[in-house]
Amino acid sequence: MHKGVLMHPIRTTRTAAAVAAGALTLAVTLTACGPAITSGETDAAGTAAPADRLQAPTEESPQGEITIWDRSGDLFNVFEAVIDDFNEVYPDVTVHHEAVDIDAKLQNTLITGADVPDGVFLDDAKVAGISDYLWDLTDVLAPYTDDIAPQKIDVNSTDGAIYGVPFDLDPGLLFYNEKALTDAGIDATGIETYDDLLAAARAYQEAVPGSKPIHLEQSPFLGQLQLEMYASQLGTALADENGELRLDSDEYRQVLGWLDTVNQEGLGTRAEYLSPSDVGALESGDQVFYPWAIWFSFAPEQQLTKTSGDWRAMPLPAWEDGGARSGAMGGSSFVLPKDGENSDLAWLFYEFLMFHEDGYSAVWGENDTYPNGLATSIPAYVPAADPAKPLFGPVEGLGGQDLWTTAVKAGAQIPGGAPAPTWWTGAVDYLGTNVQRMYDGDMTPDEVIEQSTADIQTNLVDRQ
Amino acid sequence: MTTTHAASPAGTRSARTRATATRPPGQSSRGLPAAVGSQAFLLLLALAFLAPVVWALVSAFKPATQIISDPLGLDLTALTLENYRRMFADVPIGQGFLNTAVVLVTKGAITLFCAPLAAYAFAKYRFPGRDLLFGTVLITLMLPTIVLIIPLLLEMKALGWVNTYQALVLPGAVDAFAIFWMRQVIADVPDELLDAARVDGCGEFGIFTRIVLPVIRPALAGLAVLTVMNIYNDFVWPVVAASSERMATLQVVLSTLAQNITGNRVGADYATVTGELLAAASIALVPLLIVFIALQRHFINGILAGSVKG
Amino acid sequence: MSTLVGPERVRGSQGRPLLRPWLPRKVAPYVFVLPFVAIFVAFSVYPMLFTLRLSFTDWRGSGAARWVGWDNYTYLLGNDMFWGSLANSAVLWLMIVPVQVVLGLLVAVLLNNAKIRMRSFYRIAFLVPFVTPLVAVAQIWVVVFDQEFGAVNGLLNLVGLPDVGWLTTSEWAKPTLALLFLWKTTGFIVIILLSGLQSIDASVYEAASIDGASRTRQLWSITVPLVRRTVMFSVVLQTLAVFQMFAEPFVVTDGGPYNSTTTAGLHLYENITRGDLGTGAANSFLLVVVVMGLSLLFVRFLRTED
Repeated sequence: MHKGVLMHPIRTTRTAAAVAAGALTLAVTLTACGPAITSGETDAAGTAAPADRLQAPTEESPQGEITIWDRSGDLFNVFEAVIDDFNEVYPDVTVHHEAVDIDAKLQNTLITGADVPDGVFLDDAKVAGISDYLWDLTDVLAPYTDDIAPQKIDVNSTDGAIYGVPFDLDPGLLFYNEKALTDAGIDATGIETYDDLLAAARAYQEAVPGSKPIHLEQSPFLGQLQLEMYASQLGTALADENGELRLDSDEYRQVLGWLDTVNQEGLGTRAEYLSPSDVGALESGDQVFYPWAIWFSFAPEQQLTKTSGDWRAMPLPAWEDGGARSGAMGGSSFVLPKDGENSDLAWLFYEFLMFHEDGYSAVWGENDTYPNGLATSIPAYVPAADPAKPLFGPVEGLGGQDLWTTAVKAGAQIPGGAPAPTWWTGAVDYLGTNVQRMYDGDMTPDEVIEQSTADIQTNLVDRQ
Repeated sequence: MTTTHAASPAGTRSARTRATATRPPGQSSRGLPAAVGSQAFLLLLALAFLAPVVWALVSAFKPATQIISDPLGLDLTALTLENYRRMFADVPIGQGFLNTAVVLVTKGAITLFCAPLAAYAFAKYRFPGRDLLFGTVLITLMLPTIVLIIPLLLEMKALGWVNTYQALVLPGAVDAFAIFWMRQVIADVPDELLDAARVDGCGEFGIFTRIVLPVIRPALAGLAVLTVMNIYNDFVWPVVAASSERMATLQVVLSTLAQNITGNRVGADYATVTGELLAAASIALVPLLIVFIALQRHFINGILAGSVKG
Repeated sequence: MSTLVGPERVRGSQGRPLLRPWLPRKVAPYVFVLPFVAIFVAFSVYPMLFTLRLSFTDWRGSGAARWVGWDNYTYLLGNDMFWGSLANSAVLWLMIVPVQVVLGLLVAVLLNNAKIRMRSFYRIAFLVPFVTPLVAVAQIWVVVFDQEFGAVNGLLNLVGLPDVGWLTTSEWAKPTLALLFLWKTTGFIVIILLSGLQSIDASVYEAASIDGASRTRQLWSITVPLVRRTVMFSVVLQTLAVFQMFAEPFVVTDGGPYNSTTTAGLHLYENITRGDLGTGAANSFLLVVVVMGLSLLFVRFLRTED
């Protein structure tokens, strides 16, 4: 009487299995679907042919339309406002500016080659992964290359070609709660090395029992990004310029060892960057040291309502006396896909935005979106990052500190880097995750290095 | 793991005790306390189901930074429309509504026309190739749709359909589940009814429109509402198929906002985007909720009709 | 039902000689499936075959692809992450499906009782999560389950229980994700089960009551067997959903912590975003095999004797 919802479950599922087997045979013979298949090796990757090098337009007043993609949010509004200034110089270039879910769309758009934008805002770590689809910018950037922070050039380079117009430099800084530390009788300005930082953290914990003064990042992605900041200070990175893994090195052993010590001694607050838990520990004075990229400055400015104004920023401690006092963490660039219709005009836009005073002043200086200027990064273009000519004003969340000068000076110390390997994000599953296991006490620094090296090599490097 | 072990025995236990109160034609000797218990249980569960959504609707009116720093607090004096104002200024949500409406109407119409018609053939006719075709439908039901995205995009490119309504409408217009479900429903329509009509001279298509459709109308209403919800809330394919802002549907607008939070929180405006996202999500949810409440009788009866008594 | 359509009406408006010739019974089914088949072949079957072929190549999206035979499959079958993702999905299945069936059945039985008040309200309440956009749900979950400020831990503290790292520890992230999935989809399962319950004839219970069967006994010996096929339908449906689950972990945990919420669906997506399209395709077909095997198993296990 109750006729069920499935009619002939067994038979239909069996039919499905039979169909699957049939489809397999069909698909293998059906050569119409899919890309052309070669029997031999794919082309050996050589250096980019000159045809892949973008050239600037030669006309007096070039004309055309360009489409550029940016993430939605405040930065989008900042760039939007610069378009008018750009059009005063290049009145015949129409800019279509779109807020787009870049992570979800870019790869697919590039593969299909349909409606490809002329320029895209992209995390540095993702540039190398799609360099096959991008213009080599060596020629157009040539007049500026010497004046761009070396780390930004390196991170955007693959096989001797440059694939991104460097946007921002994100120097790592040590943010600290000056009021809380002073109340505990600690003078943070004396911190020069990571050993000093450990000592200060121990002293603070003694003065404020139960506190866990140093931030330990809990997001595997950001944790790996921060690890690269520490490594960048030591002039190294996950891969060298040939894409060879170099995690198994004294530098990484030193950094991981230090993080492990912080954790083992109970000196670290483990939380995700600005999650409610993190904010809580920052506001209560339990977490007073935050070694992070300059973009943390947004937190005391807007998010830390109770301790806003108590915070200060200083260059990172050095790994040894006299070592570099900063490393790069994150950062973005503009890439120009080869399939874009008017890539050369998009270059003009980015050239104006990054290398003309009117452009970069409009981005980092006072604007409608940031009345005080964009204080979450500094220009990668050295002439724009002039200590004597601050683009953004003093930061109130940092007690009116002149963050510009601090950041620019720190930025100048960042050692050169290496191109982010195509598999950098994929490595988070191994390295980023294993760092968290170390914080759990389940792995030693050596085990993290050994295990991650093996996994990244077999699952990522060898499968390129 | 722990929830399973903790919840299953508890659930089973209460299933036994509560069930005593629930037999339909009950002569209830101890019915009253059990009925109160059932009522209380349902009420608590319903509140738990509603609470997160209510939280989102309310939080959209809180200052953005408070949403993060004090998620549970509610300062009535601080309520603001700022999140909505910013959201309207930042994202093309009006265009999103418009595109969603276009896709909803066309795609919905195609599904509601093609699925029952094909399901009728699957359920009530024997024809060579039927099992092969239906087996293929089952396979696509088992294949994660996410893997088809790049092949589909290449197809859209070849057809010149990138950033068009066709690209948003046609792929997935007749989803395997709709066929699967409608086939069950139509299979339960008594054959005698169809044969009687045939004897009376009704044509094959006439049988479908005049006999089958009226009989399964409640289930069709159910399919309609389900289809509307699926199309309205779909975002995986639209996000890649509509790369131009001009073609962005509502969910594409939402996920563009969400990307700044979930993709990488390396942005400086985490809190403000969260506020904007909640505002946009509220605006997206409310029309659907209203339609849903207005049509819930049809919808629920429709699904209930999904298994017709034989 | 006979009141709905009378044969007389049919004949009255549609002449007998008109339709028979142009749509013979043998041809009719082909005509009826044609619109569906056109769309289905173009936008489901074709991309599926494309993907199948891709699974035997090392194509990364540009240039020519190289035929690699079963390499992608053997790589995955020897890969810990792949098995880990299947294990994660299996554990999530265990956390979700049994709970959902029991809870769904319980609620459906209650809602099927005419004595319960506000049934419309409950039906709507349970279905609201089902219609809420997922991207918003993700944000809600992150805030509600925060370790120190979330509402859930606040409630735990009220009854004297300690904080739980819902989204930050590998022991709890899976239950939290399972809870999200339960919250989002249980309303739909309730409705499906309710449809099964409503098709049971009330006279069966009357007979049982007369025979003196207790109500608990009635539930287990009458209700459960009779809705068995509906339960099976729900189980198969949710098995597909759980093993293909991608968007939920993608927006809430991104697979973390420690890949403990990297589901089978998310893992194959990660292959694709890494540009390894061939491996992603192979991964998805391995998943089809797993899901098909499970479906067969459940169908056999839950099949009624008839």
